Amino acid sequence: MSTKIIGYKRENGKIGIRNYVAIIPVDDLSNNACESVAKIVQGTMALPHPYGRLQYGPDLDLHFRTLIGNGANANVAAAIVIGIEPNWARRIAEGIAKTGKPVAYFGIEGHGVLKTIEMAARKAKEFTQYATAQEKVEADLSDLLISFKCGESDTTSGLGGNPTAGRVGERLIAAGGTVIFGETSETTGAEHILARHFATKELSEKYLQTHRNYLKVIEDSGEDLMGSQPTEGNIAGGLTTIEEKALGNIQKAGRKEKCPVQSVLDLAQAPAGPGLHFMDSSSAAAEYITLMGAAGAVLHLFITGQGNIVGNPVVPTVKISANPKTVATMGEHIDVDVSGLLSRELDLDAAADKVMACLVATARGRFTCAEALGQKEFVLTRLYPSA
Amino acid sequence: MAKHKFLLHEEEDSVGVAVADIEKGEKVYGAFLHGDKLVDVVANDNIPLGHKIAVKPVKSGDFVIKYGEKIGKCYQDIQTGDWVHTHNLKGDRWGKK
Repeated sequence: MSTKIIGYKRENGKIGIRNYVAIIPVDDLSNNACESVAKIVQGTMALPHPYGRLQYGPDLDLHFRTLIGNGANANVAAAIVIGIEPNWARRIAEGIAKTGKPVAYFGIEGHGVLKTIEMAARKAKEFTQYATAQEKVEADLSDLLISFKCGESDTTSGLGGNPTAGRVGERLIAAGGTVIFGETSETTGAEHILARHFATKELSEKYLQTHRNYLKVIEDSGEDLMGSQPTEGNIAGGLTTIEEKALGNIQKAGRKEKCPVQSVLDLAQAPAGPGLHFMDSSSAAAEYITLMGAAGAVLHLFITGQGNIVGNPVVPTVKISANPKTVATMGEHIDVDVSGLLSRELDLDAAADKVMACLVATARGRFTCAEALGQKEFVLTRLYPSA
Repeated sequence: MAKHKFLLHEEEDSVGVAVADIEKGEKVYGAFLHGDKLVDVVANDNIPLGHKIAVKPVKSGDFVIKYGEKIGKCYQDIQTGDWVHTHNLKGDRWGKK
């Protein structure tokens, strides 16, 4: 099967498969200006979100890292940053500018929103013409940074969808590709198995420490995750315990001899090299894919059982399901039907072929279901409350 | 060959997963993900697609095995053919409060 794609080669050499001009608000107050610019100038896209005021410490660092990372993402040709104050806007713009792509920033204070919209829209017009002048280049699917996550999982995820993703990951990595997976909470009960997938003992211990830290946060809150993990949707789909869910979840990592895990990434951190990487991350779908966009993922493979509908504005999200009921009732959200794995009409390699073909088509420009339907959840992760 | 209605991950598993809705009293066949072996069980309950059916008895307090691994402890005796879910199986990692 051909894995040739056509993409956009950015100034820093990274390959993107979409060609957005992103209009990025630093804070909640700047959403209006960003959305107004995106209405005026064709080919631009605002990324509104509810945060960015009075954050501090590691939570503020993560805010900056997430916005800089998404602006720097290879699916973005150029970016405009708007904030109520110019300093934080400049900090984000400077972070994005390290990629070499065109970036501009604007502060609303001292100008008002109308003047800011005018200034930003004039720059956005210049950028959209820059973006649309970019020539596409030939590349390979393995040139892309691809992220994996499952959601609204059920027992069919562990039987079919996740092992298929694992097989796809093995192929991408054998071809020199880069894949990120994660979901720290959803490895609980399978951490002793996942720990064996890491390339070195040190990495294995780092992952286990990350998992222990996560459990401590939950325990220190005096709570447990009954009622949240597994979710009501998971339970309706037949998953009973977190251990069962985790054993299904880690099937995405593929076979350990084929793709040992090369690093444990912090939230929104880009991997340093090819291979499989684990990001310490929440299992909440929209937060997760936003973090992956920040880490540089340009394509996401989402495995669902009961039918999660998530999409992301920066990272096209391909959905697969092995549940024949979900495929029948929510077909408009499912890009690849691998339910033949349950009836044994498909084996894992045939299912992986179907998914690879869809990833290639998506990379060549075909809209995913989520893109066609306008699902574009951009959700920032918070570590603690604002000051 | 009989058509399977549930799938099993590993030889040592005590439960399989229904890949079609199973009716109480129905004799159903289970296939393993790897290999051609089939097992048959008479269902004691209605078991919807995606839910678990016991292929061997498990005593109250013992671990239920799936993927060849412990997925939790049952808190009442489970008989072959029973539906296994939150009414008789609980995780061992949290939910102890």
